[in-house]
Amino acid sequence: MNRKWIALASTWIAALLLVVGCSGGKQPEPAPIVEEPEPVVAPVVVKPPPAPPVMDDEKPLWDEDVEAFNDATRDPSHALYGLIGDVYFEFDKYELKPEARERLAKNARFMREHPRKVFRLEGHCDERGTNEYNLALGERRANAARSYLLSLGVPAAQMRTISYGEERPTCMTHAESCWSQNRRAAFYLASELG
Amino acid sequence: MIKRWTVAAQTLQHALASGLALSTVWVSTQIPAAAAPQDQDEPAQDITVVLEQGQQRARFRIAVPDPDTSAAAPRTSVASLDLTTVLRQDLEASGVFSVQGPEQLSVLSLTGDRLRDAPLYQSLGNELLLESAVREEKGLLVLEGRIFQLSGGETILGKRYRGGYELSRRMAHTFADEIVRYFTGRRGVALTAIAFHSDRDGLTRGGDPRREVYLMDYDGWNQRAVTAHESMSMSPAWSPGSDAIAYVTYVENELVSIYSVDVRTGAKTPVVRSGGFNSSPAFSPDGRKIAFARTVGGGNTEIFVSHRDGSNLVRLTNANGIDTNPAWSPTGREIAFTSGRSGRPQIYVMGAEGTDLRRATFTGDYNDGAEWSPDGARIVHSSRRSSGTSFDLALTDLTTNETRLLTAGVAGSHESPSFSPDGRRIAYQTTRSSRTGTDTQIYVVELAGGGHRQLTRQGHNWAPDWSGYLE
Repeated sequence: MNRKWIALASTWIAALLLVVGCSGGKQPEPAPIVEEPEPVVAPVVVKPPPAPPVMDDEKPLWDEDVEAFNDATRDPSHALYGLIGDVYFEFDKYELKPEARERLAKNARFMREHPRKVFRLEGHCDERGTNEYNLALGERRANAARSYLLSLGVPAAQMRTISYGEERPTCMTHAESCWSQNRRAAFYLASELG
Repeated sequence: MIKRWTVAAQTLQHALASGLALSTVWVSTQIPAAAAPQDQDEPAQDITVVLEQGQQRARFRIAVPDPDTSAAAPRTSVASLDLTTVLRQDLEASGVFSVQGPEQLSVLSLTGDRLRDAPLYQSLGNELLLESAVREEKGLLVLEGRIFQLSGGETILGKRYRGGYELSRRMAHTFADEIVRYFTGRRGVALTAIAFHSDRDGLTRGGDPRREVYLMDYDGWNQRAVTAHESMSMSPAWSPGSDAIAYVTYVENELVSIYSVDVRTGAKTPVVRSGGFNSSPAFSPDGRKIAFARTVGGGNTEIFVSHRDGSNLVRLTNANGIDTNPAWSPTGREIAFTSGRSGRPQIYVMGAEGTDLRRATFTGDYNDGAEWSPDGARIVHSSRRSSGTSFDLALTDLTTNETRLLTAGVAGSHESPSFSPDGRRIAYQTTRSSRTGTDTQIYVVELAGGGHRQLTRQGHNWAPDWSGYLE
């Protein structure tokens, strides 16, 4: 609990610093209203400013809970579904398909709008290659997505890549219906730029 | 009984006289909790292993009766029967001997007098007799083993081993290796070990897949973890001296790095932790360097070599395709690796400095995981079937580039082969026993033909790497 508060506090302190530091920037975030902390015992909590109007009366999920955000963008019944999304590859390939480029363009928009958000780009493979080669193939897939995002103006500092090869499938049936879902570059909100 | 021991003493002297020094085993390494026995033989009919012109190796036929335990204390009796069982298994698994034990020998009316019994053993086709005698001496187990030639009655090998009860398997392995050496000129592999990685520990605390590097004896006994990063630690590779294992680990989160673990102390040292992605480590045969795959700009993996401590990083390949999974030739002069430079993963061979590149595999559209045979003439590797979903084990001759499948027609996917140091058998990962198609376990197959033995059963297990001879 304590840790969560501290994390929350540091997030808002970071957000505050950003606004101060980038007041001349293109897309200033809404100025946070900072209240003095209650002069009681620790922890020192900076109260959050009013939320951007994403969901009524709620703070934006991506500022609140990274895990919940990552779940929400993958949940078709959630309002945040598709705000950021994964891209899929052909068997044994790491080239981006047209629909992958479309998806990445949307991802790029969100990432540029939230320049302090760092994303983890995970490269994955289906189970049909060897474990070792798939590790390298997953690395290539994650980097194919990264390179395209760079070309769309997403700063390198907002992206980290990692390959899990075939070690972390999202779908467990041994059929193309699953394999096609496993051959992916998956996007996860990871952290905030320090 | 007294008379028998007199004879024994003489034969031991005989052995001494013929230059076979009596050995003593004093081993003081930590003995982790033994795993359940995991060495059941399986029927061999479903394998096509044809190596030497289709000839299955002819075997020496040896009778190994149980020792006389009538005068032994209960725990000595149990230990001596166990030890003799291990001896039988080792000799049979060596591929050099065809062993008859108490079951086959029970049809004989043996007298206990070796000279009188010799014709009886011979009547079942045996040429050799292995007599073991086990006793306790000052709290230690003493094994005396002798091999007799049944036709001449001569002792041709005699050995004595001494050690704690917990070392009884090791004593049997040591003796078995000596017997194999005597009859083939090359030491057996009963004292070698196989490294692999496993998910048997479940998930990480964060709920993510977990892999730890494990070790087991060559027969599947004594399975124990050598890493506990609670992360993904994979692809173990033995050092040539079998004192260390390099492996890939995700313990540093987004930096996929190569670590090394000292097998004796368990101490772990980062080897390569720069860049973003490093995989597939392989020690050079002199133990001074490590080859591995590493990402350069744009996510392309290339083959690199560094000193064993990670310094002096040198890039060996430069192609617009994935290069990964390096394997040093036994001489250290060449490196085999997998490259996607032709569009599909194929195995190539280059000089250890990155020169003189040539392609090795031309059969099949996906070949990976090369390991050299100890004589350097062939590589064993995985070769994907035309169905595109599973792999065969394959041997490619490096002179003719001819590829031969070792598992054609065997259900399941068979990958990641590794030669035993005597080149007689291969450890590999396979889904052959899996109903779901994903249950991956480690098996061993004898190249000259013979059964596949399942070594692992707990969790899923991958990427076996066979040690060299352990000192």
